Amino acid sequence: MARMKFLCDSERCIECNGCVTACKNEHEVPWGVNRRRVVTLEDGVPGERSISVACMHCTDAPCAAVCPVDCFYTTDDGIVLHDKDLCIGCGYCFYACPFGAPQYPQKEAFGVRGKMDKCTFCAGGPEGKDNSDEERQKYGRNRIAEGKLPLCAEMCATKALLAGDGDMVADIYRERVTKRSSRPQSWGWLTAYQEDV
Amino acid sequence: MTRVMWRAAALTVLAALVAGCGVTVYEPGVYKGNDDPLLSMHAKSEHKALLQERFTKGQADR
Repeated sequence: MARMKFLCDSERCIECNGCVTACKNEHEVPWGVNRRRVVTLEDGVPGERSISVACMHCTDAPCAAVCPVDCFYTTDDGIVLHDKDLCIGCGYCFYACPFGAPQYPQKEAFGVRGKMDKCTFCAGGPEGKDNSDEERQKYGRNRIAEGKLPLCAEMCATKALLAGDGDMVADIYRERVTKRSSRPQSWGWLTAYQEDV
Repeated sequence: MTRVMWRAAALTVLAALVAGCGVTVYEPGVYKGNDDPLLSMHAKSEHKALLQERFTKGQADR
């Protein structure tokens, strides 16, 4: 059985934030909520690396394990989704998630949290028919139901971000690593500055 | 006789009310929300093949 997974190739990511923009635009994510973001390590120094992070759709999802109202479910393909009608905005999933994926819109003053929002792997949520207005409003567009894959990965200019069947994603990454040998050759410093920093 | 019948009726009504006020026990860790129509679509092999074809066309290295 296929398991849907994201993989970000840090040797290819150029921190363009195209994935973040694509996600926000596709799902009309409100201000202050970021389902996906690009994290940069060693910013501005040789060896700088960027990686695009969102919900990793964990096999044994810690968010689901700690949810007091059991609002999480997993599809056959391993996509972790949740029901916003059940969510009470307690924030437990945010503390449990190692990737900081769960996001909360600020509803009122004094930091009152709204219903949790996170990456759906562009698979919407449990709301009426697929791609109904209600589903779009609550969870964003359901591209998976349309036979498409997450837009963040499909928009990635350098193909750093891959999203699909974990086995196929792993095959592509393995092939890249083999071609690169031990050091990056495509987007590394050696290519840009002709010196091995 | 009438008093006994009244008591029996009252007991029956009381029993029905108590039965209606039972505590609902939920299984922990089991999803409690609405059904997602995507799940049935996802189970079909044609849909999976469609997604795999899309991946090969759009994301595989040239």
